[in-house]
Amino acid sequence: MPEPLQVLLPLLVSVAGTGLVAGAGALRPQLAAPIAVGTATLAFITTLLSETTSAVTYNWAPTWGLQLSLATDGLARLYMLLASGIGLLVLAYSSGYLPLHLQHTGSGPERGPRFFALILLFMTAMMGLVMSQDIILLILFWDLTAITSYFLIGYDHQRRDSRRAALTALLITVASAVFLIAAGAMVMHQLGTASIPEILEFAEPGTTTTVIGVMIAIAALAKSAQAPLHFWLPRAMAAPTPVSAYLHSAAMVAAGVFLLARVYPLLELGTGLMDGLLVIGFLSMAVGGVMALAQHELKRILAYSTIGQYGYVVVLLGLGNVAAAEVYVLIHALIKSALFLTAGSVTEATGETRLERLGGLWNRMPWIAAGSGLAAAGLAALPLTGGFFKDEVFFAGAAERGGVIPLLAVAGAALTFAYSWRFWGGIFVGRVVTEPRRIPLVMIAPIVFLGALVLFLGIFPGVAAEIAEEAGSASVRAPLVMHLAYHFNLEAPNVMAMATWAAGLLLVATSSRWAFIPRRIARASRHVGPDRFGAWVIGALNGLSRRLHAYEVQTLQQRVGTIFVAAAILVGVTILFAPPWPSYRVGRFPVDEWPLALFLALAALAGMVATFTSGRLSLVLALSAVGYSISAVFVFIGAPDVALVAVLIETMMTLLLLGVISLLPRDVDQSQLTESIQQRRRGRVIGVLAAGFAFAIAWGVLSRPAPDPTMSRQLITLAPSAHASDIVTAILADFRGLDTMGEITVIAIALLGTLTLFAARRRV
Amino acid sequence: MSSTLLTTSVSRLILAPTMLTAVAFVVKGYASAGDGFSAGVVAGTAVVVQFMAVGPRELANRFPLLRYAPWLTFGGLLLGLLTAFVPVALGDPVLTHYPRPEEHVPHLGLLAMHTAILFDIAVFLIVFGFIVSLLGLIGGIGVEGETQ
Repeated sequence: MPEPLQVLLPLLVSVAGTGLVAGAGALRPQLAAPIAVGTATLAFITTLLSETTSAVTYNWAPTWGLQLSLATDGLARLYMLLASGIGLLVLAYSSGYLPLHLQHTGSGPERGPRFFALILLFMTAMMGLVMSQDIILLILFWDLTAITSYFLIGYDHQRRDSRRAALTALLITVASAVFLIAAGAMVMHQLGTASIPEILEFAEPGTTTTVIGVMIAIAALAKSAQAPLHFWLPRAMAAPTPVSAYLHSAAMVAAGVFLLARVYPLLELGTGLMDGLLVIGFLSMAVGGVMALAQHELKRILAYSTIGQYGYVVVLLGLGNVAAAEVYVLIHALIKSALFLTAGSVTEATGETRLERLGGLWNRMPWIAAGSGLAAAGLAALPLTGGFFKDEVFFAGAAERGGVIPLLAVAGAALTFAYSWRFWGGIFVGRVVTEPRRIPLVMIAPIVFLGALVLFLGIFPGVAAEIAEEAGSASVRAPLVMHLAYHFNLEAPNVMAMATWAAGLLLVATSSRWAFIPRRIARASRHVGPDRFGAWVIGALNGLSRRLHAYEVQTLQQRVGTIFVAAAILVGVTILFAPPWPSYRVGRFPVDEWPLALFLALAALAGMVATFTSGRLSLVLALSAVGYSISAVFVFIGAPDVALVAVLIETMMTLLLLGVISLLPRDVDQSQLTESIQQRRRGRVIGVLAAGFAFAIAWGVLSRPAPDPTMSRQLITLAPSAHASDIVTAILADFRGLDTMGEITVIAIALLGTLTLFAARRRV
Repeated sequence: MSSTLLTTSVSRLILAPTMLTAVAFVVKGYASAGDGFSAGVVAGTAVVVQFMAVGPRELANRFPLLRYAPWLTFGGLLLGLLTAFVPVALGDPVLTHYPRPEEHVPHLGLLAMHTAILFDIAVFLIVFGFIVSLLGLIGGIGVEGETQ
C-alpha cells in the first residue's frame, strides 16, 4: 500500500462512511446503523494497521505557509484507536438504544440516520484533530468537534434542557477555542511557521511562549471540562446516553488532554505553566470527587467523575509524566464508556435515572452487573483490573514529586473509590426498587466486552504500556520507557494504593455519617459556582441585545438613529485609538478647479434643502440633486466609470422613490407625523454626531498624502496585455475578478432571500 | 397610478433605445467606460420606467417573460461561476481569461472575443435580473418562484 494512503486511510474511511450513512440513511433509515458500525470497524482496523510515523503533506495555501499535514504518530494512534474502537462499540450499542430512545421521545425512525452520521462525523473530526501536524488544520478540526458535539448533545432538540445544554457546551468550548486561535496566530507570527513539529523545535523560553502556552492550556482545559470551566459537562448529560459514552469519556473531553500532550514541549518552556496544570488538575479532582458523591442521577455522577479523572491526567502532565498520563487516558476511556453504557442500559430497562429509585439489579441483569462491576473496580483501581495501573502510575508520579502531593493524590483516589462504589452498589446491590424490562443483546454485549478488556489489561498490562509508551514518546519527541507490572513490595505506589483502599472502604462504611457534606457543598455551589457566573454573563448580554433591538425597531427614526450612533461610536473609537490629528491639514483651494467647487456647493445646497423641506416630492428631488451633483464631481476628477454608475444609480433611486410616493395615500393624518420636542432634539444630536464623525474621517483621509501611484501605474501598464483598453473594466473582470465574483454572488443571495421572504408571506 | 397618453407612448418609444444602450455598454465595455453592471442598471431602469408609466398589470401583459427574471440572476451566477472555475479544470488559476495575454484576440466589430466579456455578461444578467425581480415582487407583478 502506498504510504500516503496508509496514513490517510482511517480518515478517508470515516469521511466516506459519514457520507454513505447520511445518503443511504435518507433512503432507508434502517441501513444507517449497520453502515455506521461497518465504517467504524474499518476505521479501527486501518488504524491498527497503520504503522508509519511519517507525515503526509499537501500544499494548501502556500502563500500563507499553510499545509494539509497529517501523520499517524504514536500519540495520534492512541486517540485514533480510542475514537474508532470505542466509537465502534458505541455505534453497535446505539443500534439497539436509538430505536427505543426515539420511541420514548416520540420521534419517528427517520431521525435515526442523523444520529449515526453525526457520530461518524465526530469520529472523523477527532481523527483529523489528532493527526494534524499543522496548527491551523488542528484548529479547524478542533472547532469541528465542538460543532458536531453541539448537534449531538442537542439531538433531542424538542427538549428545552437539551437545547440549553448543547448551547452551553458550544459556548464554553468555542469561546475557549478563540484562545487557541489567538495562540496559533501568535505562534505563526513569532516563528513564521504553522507546522507543529517545527513550532515545537524552534520555540524558545520567554514571555511570549508562556502566553502562548497559557492560551493553549485554557482551550484544552475547557475542552477537558476542568475546573472552573467544568460546568458544561454535567449539563451535557441531557444528550442521549451513547453520545455521553463516546464524547464524554473517550473523545470530546480527551481532545483537551490530547492537545496538552501534542504541544507538551512548548508547555514545558513556559514559566509556571506546569505548576498551573497541577493546581487545575487537583482542583478538578476535588470538584469532581466531591460533587460525584452529591449527585443522584446516574449520568451526572459519571460526568463529575470524568471531570475528576481528567484532573488526574492533567496532574500527571503537570508532573511531567506524559507516558503515565496516556496510560491513564487509555484505561479511563474504556472504564468510563462502559459505565456510561451501563447507565443507559439500566435507564432503558427500568425507566429510572435516579440512584434512589434503583437497587438490587445484580441478579436481574447479571451480565451488565459483571461488566460494569469490572469497570467500576477499575475506576476504584482494584488489582487485577487495568484501573490498578492507572492509579499506580499516578501514585508513582506523585511520590516522586513528594511534599503534599502524595497526600492530595491519595485523598482524590479515595473519593474516586467512594463514588465508584456508590454508583455500582447503588444500582446493583440492596433491595430491588424497580423491576427491569428486557433489553436487546446489543445493549449488553459492549459493556461486557469493555469490562473484559479492563480485566485483560489488569492481567496483561503490557499492551497498554506499549501504546502509551509510543504516545508519550511522540508527545515529548524523545523515547520514553513505560513498564507496567505488579510489584509485591512496600514501595510508595503500593503503600499509597493500600492507603487509598483503606480510606475508600472507611468512606463507604461511614457514608451515612458524612453524606450531607457533599450535598451541602453541591447546594452552595448552585448559588456561587462558576456556572452561575457564566449564566449571568450570557443572560446580561442577551438582555442588552434584546433591549437594544426593542428600541431599534420602535420607529423608523430610531432605526436610522441606531445605525448612525453605532457607526459614530465605531468611527470615534478608531479616531481615539489611532488619532490622525497631527496629519489634519487645511489644503490649498485650486483656483483652476472652480467647476468642481461649483458642483460641490450645489450638492451642499441641495442637502440643505433636503434637510429643511417638508414636502415629499421636493425632498425626493432635492436628494436626487445631491446625487447628480456628486456624480458631476466624479466627471471633473476624471473618473468616468464611477460617474456613469453614480448617475445610473441616482436615476434608479429617484424613480423608485417617486414610485413609492405615488403609492402613498395623498392625505396622511398629520398628527402622526409631528414629533415630540424630545424626539426632535434627539434627532438633531444624532445627526450632528454622525455628521461630525463623517466629516472628521473624510478630512483625515483627504489629509493623507496621495497614495503611491506605483500600483495604479502597474495596473495601467497591465491592462493592454489583458486585452482591455478600459482599465476599470479590466480591474473588475480580470485583476480583481474574484472580488466581483463575490459581489455578484451576494446580489444573487439577496434575491434568493427576498424571494424566500415573499414566498413565506404568501403562505401565512 | 394614473397614466396619460404622453407617458405611455414616451415610455414605449424609449424602451428600444435604452436597451440598445445597455447592449452597447456590454459590448464596448472593454474598450471604454461602462461595463456589465452599468448595462444591467440601464436595462433595469428601462423596465422601471415602463412600470411607472403603465402600472404592474399592463407591464405583465406587455412583457409576460418578465416573470422569469429570477432565472436571469441565477443563470448569470452560474455563467459567472463557470467563467471563474472552468479554468481550474484546465489547470489554470481561478478566473483566468482566454485568450491569454500576448495571444491574439479575434474581434467581431468592436466586440472582443474574450472570456472576460462572458464574465461581464454574467454581471449584467445578475444585476438586470435582480432589479426586475425585486420590482416584480414589490410592485406586484407575479414572479416565478414567488407562488406556492
